[in-house]
Amino acid sequence: MKRRKLALGTLLLVIAALTLVFASASSGSPKASTPYKVAFIYVGPHNDGGWSQAHENGRLYVQKMLGSKVQTTYKENIAVGSQFNQTVASLAAQGYQMIFATSYGYITPQIAAKYPNIKFEQATGTLVAKNVSEYFGRAEDTIFLSGMAAGYASKTGQIGDVLAFPIPEVVRHANAFALGAQYAHPGATVRVVWTHSWFAPAAEKKAAQSLVSAGVDVLGQNVDSPATGQYAESIGIPWVGYDSDSSKFAPKSWLTASVYNWGPYYLKRIEEAMAGTWKPGFYYGSINDGFTKLAPFGPGVTAADKAKILAVEKKIENGTFYEFTGPLYDQSGKLRVAKGVKMQVLKGGTNSLYGINWFVKGVIGSPKG
Amino acid sequence: MRISVEQRLRRPRWLTVAVPVGSIVFAFLVAAVVLLATGHNPLPTYRELFDAAFLQNQSIDQTLIVATPLAFMGLAAAAAFRMKLYNIGAEGQMYLGAITGSAAGLYFGGRGGPAPFPIAAMVVAGMLGGAAWALIPGILRAFFKTNEILTSLLLNYVAGLLLTYLIFESESYWRQTKGFNASVFPTGKPLPHNAVWPGWTLHIQGGLTVPLGAFFAVLAAVVLWVLYKRTRFGFEAQVLGDSPRAARYAGVRMRRKILAVMAVSGAIAGLGGASQVGDFSHALDGDPNGLQKIGYGYTGIVVAALGRYNPFAVVLIAFLLGGLENAGNTLQGPSFPAGLVGAIQGIILFSALGGEILTHHRFRITRKTKRVAAAAPEAVA
Repeated sequence: MKRRKLALGTLLLVIAALTLVFASASSGSPKASTPYKVAFIYVGPHNDGGWSQAHENGRLYVQKMLGSKVQTTYKENIAVGSQFNQTVASLAAQGYQMIFATSYGYITPQIAAKYPNIKFEQATGTLVAKNVSEYFGRAEDTIFLSGMAAGYASKTGQIGDVLAFPIPEVVRHANAFALGAQYAHPGATVRVVWTHSWFAPAAEKKAAQSLVSAGVDVLGQNVDSPATGQYAESIGIPWVGYDSDSSKFAPKSWLTASVYNWGPYYLKRIEEAMAGTWKPGFYYGSINDGFTKLAPFGPGVTAADKAKILAVEKKIENGTFYEFTGPLYDQSGKLRVAKGVKMQVLKGGTNSLYGINWFVKGVIGSPKG
Repeated sequence: MRISVEQRLRRPRWLTVAVPVGSIVFAFLVAAVVLLATGHNPLPTYRELFDAAFLQNQSIDQTLIVATPLAFMGLAAAAAFRMKLYNIGAEGQMYLGAITGSAAGLYFGGRGGPAPFPIAAMVVAGMLGGAAWALIPGILRAFFKTNEILTSLLLNYVAGLLLTYLIFESESYWRQTKGFNASVFPTGKPLPHNAVWPGWTLHIQGGLTVPLGAFFAVLAAVVLWVLYKRTRFGFEAQVLGDSPRAARYAGVRMRRKILAVMAVSGAIAGLGGASQVGDFSHALDGDPNGLQKIGYGYTGIVVAALGRYNPFAVVLIAFLLGGLENAGNTLQGPSFPAGLVGAIQGIILFSALGGEILTHHRFRITRKTKRVAAAAPEAVA
């Protein structure tokens, strides 16, 4: 007993001593200029080859454009909840003035109220408050286009989609993917598997394997890593990515992907914050302002198919085409959106883009996970 | 030359001082090499680490957020490991405690009544939930001799899926179903105000809130200490751990003891789960990217081992490791990869645990080669 106490006491003493040594070796360098400090929180690794990497590219863009006027950092692999709150506390202590939380569930009304002087921006959510903005983009448009590429590439009309969580964002994207595939390949089905994680390469690969063994001959995804693509490459079937241009992970299988260009939005918001004109709001970017776009096509897309996809892209740009226009039927064949009715972003409950909880006809799997 | 490891018959007193000191110093030296190799200056890095963990404004406040669950998890592991019952399931028992604890909070918090009541109900429900989950591997071990390491570990995954199911894949009692925001992304139903656990705010370090759960953790440590040091129950459990046959001979009821110890261990983990909801998240956190991503239950095993299953040491180690974890998030960034943070934390933990072997064992170097050489000429002749 005594020895243990002694040992513990010593351990504490050593730590205290080390602390003192480092405290005295303090490096209080005076700050020459005070750059505006902005932090980005990532749900996965900054180089995940997908979602977080797209945000990281946005951060690097801002740093490049504003140079020494800003100081940016990121925190990766941050869990929702107490770990996020802890990270915000440490960023606040270091004088960070603006925080981009790049996944839903991070920012709570409590944390926003606790740090009234920090400007929070959260991707994909709807929580707008005095110091909280929400931002995202119409990926459904570009996902529809990438779904077309999948539809053209499929011989059997059976396509697979690896999905993260049974939430409206993912359901909406999977629906857009299926609608695009069916547009290109009438009667095509999209079989889905849930991984219950944004970034889980092992689970994503397993999901892709199970889809292929169920008979699909093209893979798509709404998860953050390129594991699905790597698997597709290994067995030689086409793949549609998501978030980032990940063609280098599967050069032969790569068809295209809906990608985000977060940089210009980040630049605009940070400049506004620095100028004092920042206002909270809900921003929904699109193909027109360059927020979302289609990644370069891979070798599996023929020139003829490319032309057809780009023709629809043109129509989306000039507003003559919108994939979520009725009639839209759900999996059971029930009419959900009447002919000619366009689904809205926030209004319409479960018939809105942000509230949709049902799969369109031709999707195989449950939208409840 | 041969190196052999032998058990020490006698432990010199200086060793109990030298080993932990040596281990920590060794860890910082090795980590310094790693830091230098990756182009970082070790001294400012260490300074930043201590600053972020314990010194700078609100650092202890943040450290306690990690230390509190780690203390519960460490105590849960220590309670079972003491009897050589390897309950790896504190993680899952914590989830169950969070589920039952938040159910009690939601149910009793909403109906008025005196403030301490919903909180007391959460504590009891959390402990019961954790204990019940721990009793599954307990019963399997006691009656069917199933290895509790495997069953308790695998039940963690089951508990995690249950947690996710309740919030993401069903419209359960725990899920917030009102409002458009709740339909955009699934969240837990927030606890009513009188079920939120109060903290004790100290006006030092720019505001330091000691969560109620931290007091419960210390209380749990005291109870555990009394249980194992001052009661027949604890004595029997330890004898059973050290020598099941001797315990049997002395009339200790094996099955009962296994069940009781598992229940105690699970109850502590479950209380940790209730504290997660009451102290921190204020709603059931079913996000696989939230509580489940952190893995307090697994780190708790390390905490228990470093504290040598002594409840008070476990609480202390939980505080130190909590600081280390907290500092990790402060250190990481573009110029300091998260993997490097993990490597440094790993080196410190590994050295601290590895050093233990030196207090119980010693290395003996025997020069076998000389004797062989001496014997050789005879053989030739």
